[in-house]
Amino acid sequence: MVETESCSIQLNKIDWNDTSCLITYGPLPHKLLLSIQTVGLIEPPLLQGKKNDLFRIVCGGRRLAACKKIGLDLLTCRVLPSSMEHQKCLRLAIYDNVAQRALNPVEKSLVLAKMADYLEEPQLIDEFMPLLDLEPSITLFNRYLGLHDLEEVILDYLANGRLNERIAFALATQEQGDRLAYLRLFEEFPYSVSVQEEIVETVEEIARKENLTPEQVLSSKEVRALRQTSKRPARQRAQEIRKHLQARRNPRLTARRQRFAREARDLGLPSGVRLVPPPYFEGSKWILECSFERAEELASRLRHVAQLADQPELQGMMESKSDISSRKVGN
Amino acid sequence: MRSILAGLPGIPVQWVDRLGENRKSETGKDLEIVKFKGRFVKACPGTRSYNCCGYQILNFGNQCSLGCSYCILQAYFPNPNLRLFANLDDLIQQLEDHLRTSRRQVHRIGTGEFTDSLLLDHLTHLSELLVPFFAKQPNAVLELKTKTAQVDLLEKLDNGGRTIVAWSLNPPEVIDREEGTASPLEERLEAARRCQQWGYRLAFHFDPLLAYPKWKEGYAEVVARLFSAVDPSGIAWISLGSLRFMPSLKAIIRQSHPLTTILDEEFVPGLDGKLRYFRDLRVEMYSHLRELLLSVHKDLCLYLCMESDDVWREALGFTPADRGGLSAMLDRQALL
Repeated sequence: MVETESCSIQLNKIDWNDTSCLITYGPLPHKLLLSIQTVGLIEPPLLQGKKNDLFRIVCGGRRLAACKKIGLDLLTCRVLPSSMEHQKCLRLAIYDNVAQRALNPVEKSLVLAKMADYLEEPQLIDEFMPLLDLEPSITLFNRYLGLHDLEEVILDYLANGRLNERIAFALATQEQGDRLAYLRLFEEFPYSVSVQEEIVETVEEIARKENLTPEQVLSSKEVRALRQTSKRPARQRAQEIRKHLQARRNPRLTARRQRFAREARDLGLPSGVRLVPPPYFEGSKWILECSFERAEELASRLRHVAQLADQPELQGMMESKSDISSRKVGN
Repeated sequence: MRSILAGLPGIPVQWVDRLGENRKSETGKDLEIVKFKGRFVKACPGTRSYNCCGYQILNFGNQCSLGCSYCILQAYFPNPNLRLFANLDDLIQQLEDHLRTSRRQVHRIGTGEFTDSLLLDHLTHLSELLVPFFAKQPNAVLELKTKTAQVDLLEKLDNGGRTIVAWSLNPPEVIDREEGTASPLEERLEAARRCQQWGYRLAFHFDPLLAYPKWKEGYAEVVARLFSAVDPSGIAWISLGSLRFMPSLKAIIRQSHPLTTILDEEFVPGLDGKLRYFRDLRVEMYSHLRELLLSVHKDLCLYLCMESDDVWREALGFTPADRGGLSAMLDRQALL
């Protein structure tokens, strides 16, 4: 049992600038305000006395902020002895929070960053990562620590679930202008997390190859034009931007796909018949799909296909010929 | 073990009961010497999706400290330390058993798959054990594959035509940028010239072929310098293989070699799941190398590493099946 003393504390005696034990991040929940307004404060916050006659918040930072917002000025709080080591207070705050709710990624990052002042990495990883429902690995640990330096706007997105931590990890390795450019794109268009990851990787690779920054890639003339075509729905524009980036990153594959689409159209396959090239044109197995409803329909389509199979156009379609100049390599 | 320690005077030695397998936190600066309890002779991990050459691996150690940006060993062995196996008596015993149980088969056995064959040869003196051993084998050849010029110990050994010394080659600008502390091209070729002088057959591996803005000129220069250093009639085989890697290696390369440009080109997933250059570019690269190489010596034995029949046909003008299969084609060369 932690030894505490129950005291009435005036809110102006709380050191709001001392956030050293606070691991809560995110907006004040409306229901907390409503609860305190309706039935009062049920669970008293935990404070620690400081030398300057002020009190440090250990647990209950949001409750206190809600009370302040409502306009309360005197509260019953539990107070820890001022002699208690700071690390112990921090542990109290962390364990109290994880016992009650799942922490958001920013809060997890805060826990690891604050405890890193007291513990060596291996101990920190072994004790705190499982406590935060994280795999105890150094890589993941470093990724969470990296979140700590992100801009507030990104942290807000992360805390309220509008940005996935996988994307935040990727953004944390970028320059500020680049990550804000990604954030604006993801705010604007409804990409799934895996597509966002793909976009970050693709843009980064284009930037390296073209000696640009990701921000410059995302604000290039072509991307800007696609973003600003407001006549089409956002979902469609999102797909077009993705396709544009993929084509820019993979010009050979794109040129081959375009040639295939063009030649398949010119070949004049009967309706219900589809020619499928090998994935990425790798390997030699092509697939012909034929759908039909009646036997005579099948017979008719197969006769048509058999005629096409003898045409040099089909052979030409299957041939690998360079669709793009080798001078493009590495450029 | 004694030989290695004698070659490293003043280096601190620590004896431990056990070494972990998965130690990402290691720095890569330690040399680990262990007793190996697994199989020393293994089949090369090929794939059914592409033509595989039937190579066998003699595993005397793991990892490589040369630091090539594209090296698959970075992903294959999480522990960056170079590890050598000390129980060479067991290695030779297993090798004897392996060759005895399949006498009719031709065995092409290499030590350069999980590490560089000759990087530490001046310390291990392994070549002094293996080269004479293979010299006595009627149905096996040893291929020592390296990016170094550590060939001094080979001079006095009787190789009996059963050891092929092989170098991986790339243009000087690629070596400078992507191959860490590997020997420069001129040193590799000089080492090859010396080995040929000492009666060894040679092999060369243009693998990985790397696409970069002036790759055509770069590889043309390598080929020209190769044939000004060695007699092509003494070359057992030359392999061509374009850069390919498991997708998981990409992040490792980015982290360990942030300045590399090898990931700039376009990659697609191959039939084996590895990322590789788009087919057209691979064909173009192989065709270019074929022309360069065969214009100097039309009888050179060229083969593609991990490619399908259609790429063979397009790039080299034949498929392995046309010559009895890739294994048979190389087996004939091995025992010439």
